[in-house]
Amino acid sequence: MNHTSHSEEAVYVYEAPLRLWHWVNAVAIVALAGTGYLIGSPPPSVGGEASASFVFGWIRYLHFAAGYVLIAGFAFRIYWAFAGNEHARQIFLPPVWRGRFWREVWHEVLWYALLVREPIKYSGHNPLATIAMHILFVWFTIFMIVTGLALYGEGTGMGSWQHTLFSSRVIPLFGQSQDVHTWHHLGMWVIICFVIIHIYVAVREDIMSRQTIISSMFSGWRTFRGNGTPRDSD
Amino acid sequence: MPPPVEEVLTPETFYEVMRRQGITRRSFLKFCSLTAASLGLGPTFAPKIAYAMESKPRIPVLWLHGLECTCCSESFIRSAHPLAKDVVLSMLSLDYDDTLMAAAGHQAEAIVDEVVEQYKGNYILAVEGNPPLNEDGMFCIIGGKPFVEQLKHAASNAKAIISWGSCASWGCVQAARPNPTRATPVHKVPGLPDKPIIKVPGCPPIAEVMTAVITYILTFEKLPELDRQGRPKMFYSQRIHDKCYRRPHFDAGQFVESFDDEGARKGYCLYKVGCKGPTTYNACSTVGWNGGLSFPIQAGHPCIGCSEDGFWDKGDFYSRLTRVHGFGIEADADRIGTTAATVVGAAAAAHAAASVVKRMRGKGGNN
Amino acid sequence: MGIRTPNGFNLDTSGQRVVVDPVTRIEGHMRCEVNIDENNIIRNAVSTGTMWRGLEVILKGRDPRDAWAFTQRICGVCTGTHALTSVRAVEDALGIIIPENANSIRNIMQLSLQVHDHLVHFYHLHALDWVNPVHALRADPKATSELQQAVSPSHPMSSPGYFRDIQNRLKKFVESGQLGPFKNGYWTNPAYLLPPEADLMAVTHYLEALDFQKEIMTTRTIFGGKDIHPNWLVGGVPCAINIDGEMAAGAPINMERLNYVRSVIERTIAFVDNVYIPDIIAIGNLYKAWLYGGGLSGKSVLAYGDIPDKANDYSAANLMMPQGAIINGNLKEVLPVDVRDPEQIQEFVPHSWYKYPDEAKGLHPWDGITEPHYELGPNAKGTRTNIIELDESAKYSWIKAPRWRGHAMEVGPLARYVVGYAQGHEEIKEQVDSTLRVLGAPLNALFSTLGRTAARALEAQWAARKQAYFLDKLIANIKAGDSSTANTEKWDPKTWPAEIKGVGFTEAPRGALGHWIRIKNGRIENYQCVVPTTWNGSPRDNAGNIGAFEASLMDTKVERAEEPVEILRTIHSFDPCLACSTH
Ligand code: HEM
Ligand code: HEM
Ligand code: NFV
Ligand code: SF4
Ligand code: SF4
Ligand code: F3S
Ligand SMILES: [Mg+2]
Repeated sequence: MNHTSHSEEAVYVYEAPLRLWHWVNAVAIVALAGTGYLIGSPPPSVGGEASASFVFGWIRYLHFAAGYVLIAGFAFRIYWAFAGNEHARQIFLPPVWRGRFWREVWHEVLWYALLVREPIKYSGHNPLATIAMHILFVWFTIFMIVTGLALYGEGTGMGSWQHTLFSSRVIPLFGQSQDVHTWHHLGMWVIICFVIIHIYVAVREDIMSRQTIISSMFSGWRTFRGNGTPRDSD
Repeated sequence: MPPPVEEVLTPETFYEVMRRQGITRRSFLKFCSLTAASLGLGPTFAPKIAYAMESKPRIPVLWLHGLECTCCSESFIRSAHPLAKDVVLSMLSLDYDDTLMAAAGHQAEAIVDEVVEQYKGNYILAVEGNPPLNEDGMFCIIGGKPFVEQLKHAASNAKAIISWGSCASWGCVQAARPNPTRATPVHKVPGLPDKPIIKVPGCPPIAEVMTAVITYILTFEKLPELDRQGRPKMFYSQRIHDKCYRRPHFDAGQFVESFDDEGARKGYCLYKVGCKGPTTYNACSTVGWNGGLSFPIQAGHPCIGCSEDGFWDKGDFYSRLTRVHGFGIEADADRIGTTAATVVGAAAAAHAAASVVKRMRGKGGNN
Repeated sequence: MGIRTPNGFNLDTSGQRVVVDPVTRIEGHMRCEVNIDENNIIRNAVSTGTMWRGLEVILKGRDPRDAWAFTQRICGVCTGTHALTSVRAVEDALGIIIPENANSIRNIMQLSLQVHDHLVHFYHLHALDWVNPVHALRADPKATSELQQAVSPSHPMSSPGYFRDIQNRLKKFVESGQLGPFKNGYWTNPAYLLPPEADLMAVTHYLEALDFQKEIMTTRTIFGGKDIHPNWLVGGVPCAINIDGEMAAGAPINMERLNYVRSVIERTIAFVDNVYIPDIIAIGNLYKAWLYGGGLSGKSVLAYGDIPDKANDYSAANLMMPQGAIINGNLKEVLPVDVRDPEQIQEFVPHSWYKYPDEAKGLHPWDGITEPHYELGPNAKGTRTNIIELDESAKYSWIKAPRWRGHAMEVGPLARYVVGYAQGHEEIKEQVDSTLRVLGAPLNALFSTLGRTAARALEAQWAARKQAYFLDKLIANIKAGDSSTANTEKWDPKTWPAEIKGVGFTEAPRGALGHWIRIKNGRIENYQCVVPTTWNGSPRDNAGNIGAFEASLMDTKVERAEEPVEILRTIHSFDPCLACSTH
């Protein structure tokens, strides 16, 4: 890669499968949060014979379907961490053992606190974003999948793989089923908070920093304006 | 740790036990005539007692009571099949149960010692309620001493322990926040001899479930298969919700919105008035209560989750969502979540505004 | 060294100390110590509640609409009565008017509890004090059959063959050498006076009652979904009614359910009439000389009243169970009772294992404090965790000492019947007079251990019939077009004032029960229960008055100090519930 300063350099960061995953995942999470909220606080009752409607059944069905999309996507995403380019590994393996990484996290904090003038350029995620995605996205998605499957296994019952692998272990760990619901529900709010920050920062960076952000998640290419080398491409 | 499930129960005869302890046949017969005499019965009864003692005995049961409300005993006597009478007269030997036994005071206490010694490894300990550990255990005193001592003593030679009800299984109401007496469920009692524990939770458990657990043990001569939390799978592997007759209304989205509304009269699902059926493992919607006559939901009240660990502290009974304690907050997941999301959103907006201001200033400075 | 208590008992602690711990065949854990003189007469009595769970502490900060479920778990024997008291307290605080149907249903549930609890108490907790099952082996089944037919001609189970079968079963049981619950009873004690035929009849009824009792409470299963611990609701009852509308079959209450309730009530009335009442008369006749144990019953009795005929009216005139207080043995004057009056009901703790800022004073339950404080007095024998003898001059019980205008009071069926009798309550008067006539006993025979046991049976008979009254009333009201069961106007805590207080009361099987609640910002700020066995099992107070249990034991002769069946008889006659008393 050409390291000399250049005003319009482009790096291919997000390969197509990853981009596809990103948007499928985003849709799944929106669906999960919407239906999940309704599972906790159902919409007003419908009338008529019970056999004539399946409103709440559909809400739950959609939740589970989206849940499996999320799970399948996440499984693929893990595979892609091996198969894809170096950026594909970033959110799974933040180099937390490196002092430099933490110094740069600190620099990003100062940048977001509006205390430094120039952001460091990265072709992938900046270190703060990496650590945030690692914790708030990767771990909380795992948490949601594990607790979600534990709840799902309660319905499929003893003997089902969901029950054997998840319900029968996870429920005693939390205390009882109701606690798993509560934590699964709280997990949703953590992910919602992540999404709010994530979208805000994506939009902001797109405007404030001199690199493309949002369009990268569509095209895969990241282009830089002004001088300097992306820190993570050496 | 789930206890070994294949434990086989084959008690020795009382005579064998006595012989094993080095007692001669002569003193055994003497023991029999003394027993007859102590009952005010004639000498003709002695050989009959001796005969019985040489046959396989009914398995002795010590039924102890700690901090509790006796609803488990009350439930037990309501068993329709088998009748409580038949269990007590013909199936087992209820040697100690302070709510039913004739003996009192030291004559009652002596029975525990006697069974623990004479039926080593061949009696069942049934526990209703639980021991408090605060105040040196003196929130529950038996014979002038802390109940927890009696419990440990009675457990020392037991074949197995049955934890009746939510008290013995989980702690129940006296262990609800702030658990002022430090009431402790049986399996968490420090220093309790290591025995298989069968939890039969419920506040109280269903009578026919209680008698079924006992008759299972006696009939099949082994302990029932337990789940990871120590409950018999045969009655606790499904949620109320899985077999609830109102389930079609749940799927349809037909809910009781408030008590005695149209939906309540039509038997709609009680989810929105707080039903814990979806999170409660018990046999109410299958076995039913009082000979299968009804169960809470059938009578129009949401399940409060009475067989679940800590059900008293999972939020108000009439709300679907749990109140979350800690960090000075006490609110349900959605309140915590919307607050957090609002804070995050507001922070983002403020940050955006600050960024704009900063940028404009920066530009001005540069020029 | 004698001391005279303000309530008129001479205590003397010089004799031999006899300890009974555990007192069995009661609910919960209790200890009893007495001093007997050289003639084996009880000269000092000490009753101790030996358990505490802290429900009043646990209730703080919770949703008042949930309180019924917590307080219901105070006791699984008088299950439901605390729940009812609790919903009444919350409704009182919020000014909620409940529907007529809810009142009728609650009354049926409460009355079925009275019958069930009384019957189970008599046969399964109390009978073995009077009946010797081992003697029953000597009975002639034919003579037993004749006795049965004589005392209760309409009871169908009375043939000689029936009694022979029971006797054979009992024989087999005894011959097994494994006596189960009968082990170590005082079966050779001469205090058992029944002829073997009466023993066999009573043991047979012990078993019949054990089978039948499970039917009585099925009314509560219908209305409350389960028994023990049926469900209740602030504002009414949770069981909606749908008699012939769409989806009535899935509704909690429909025609089939009402028919079930009717059939249970009818069978209950028959069982009480044919079995319970005749047995009480038979046993009363044979133990007629045993007139000890009156204690406070002829001096100070208290009843709050219960079973409102019309909904929402808790005034004495509308309550079908009597309300009032009698003090100093003056049966001519029944004093009005007001549970809100801070001067009337107060709880003291100088002899209880609790702490007050000022223990010389009593506290009205709205201002009550529950702070445990376990310590033994200087004269106690043994150690902190191995009590040999208690020191009653210091703190000695987990039960507080409630007082009515400073008086220790007896509560319960006998107290209710004494108050009712003194007020000229027609149904009560008729029942009492006819029973006394049959037994050939004077009125003051009531003030005794047996009087307590008999009053309970009469009350069961009364309560069984009143269930039918309220079922009729429920059906008439539905017929008139009102099928509402709950008032949910004030369901949402947002509609509540910031600070309110309320009180609910009932007549529980064991006596007057009250719950006092303070609600602040939608949550419970203080919750206090004063329970029947708190009254009866009360320890001494600051003035030295002894409680009802203690008073009842005074001057009783104990045949054999090592087999104190007399103590059990009298204590059992109160049907003590220790889980209730301390909660
Ligand atoms: C539920 C919604 C969303 C979730 C859970 C989500 C999650 C993620 C994750 C996990 C990544 C890291 C990808 C990787 O490195 O493997 C990412 C990257 C990205 N997402 Fe999203 N996303 C969501 C919605 C959106 C939306 C609506 C936008 C557009 C405004 C967006 C724009 C981006 C961009 C631009 C990146 C690349 C960021 C960078 O290179 O620093 N995301 N997202
Ligand atoms: C970001 C991902 C997810 C979010 C935000 C989410 C959100 C929620 C929420 C809010 C609830 C209601 C909890 C309650 O209060 O009872 C819920 C329930 C549930 N979720 Fe998820 N969930 C997610 C992922 C999953 C996954 C991966 C599964 C697995 C299939 C799953 C399965 C379930 C099940 C079985 C329930 C219980 C449904 C019921 O009780 O009827 N969830 N979810
Ligand atoms: N004492 C008492 Fe209770 C009653 N009756 C309650 O209020 O018994 Ni368990
Ligand atoms: S589990 Fe419930 S019903 Fe059983 S004794 Fe405990 S409080 Fe009572
Ligand atoms: S009433 Fe309760 S258990 Fe029944 S379907 Fe509804 S939520 Fe499930
Ligand atoms: S409250 Fe308990 S009785 Fe059954 S329906 Fe629920 S587990
Ligand atoms: Mg109290």
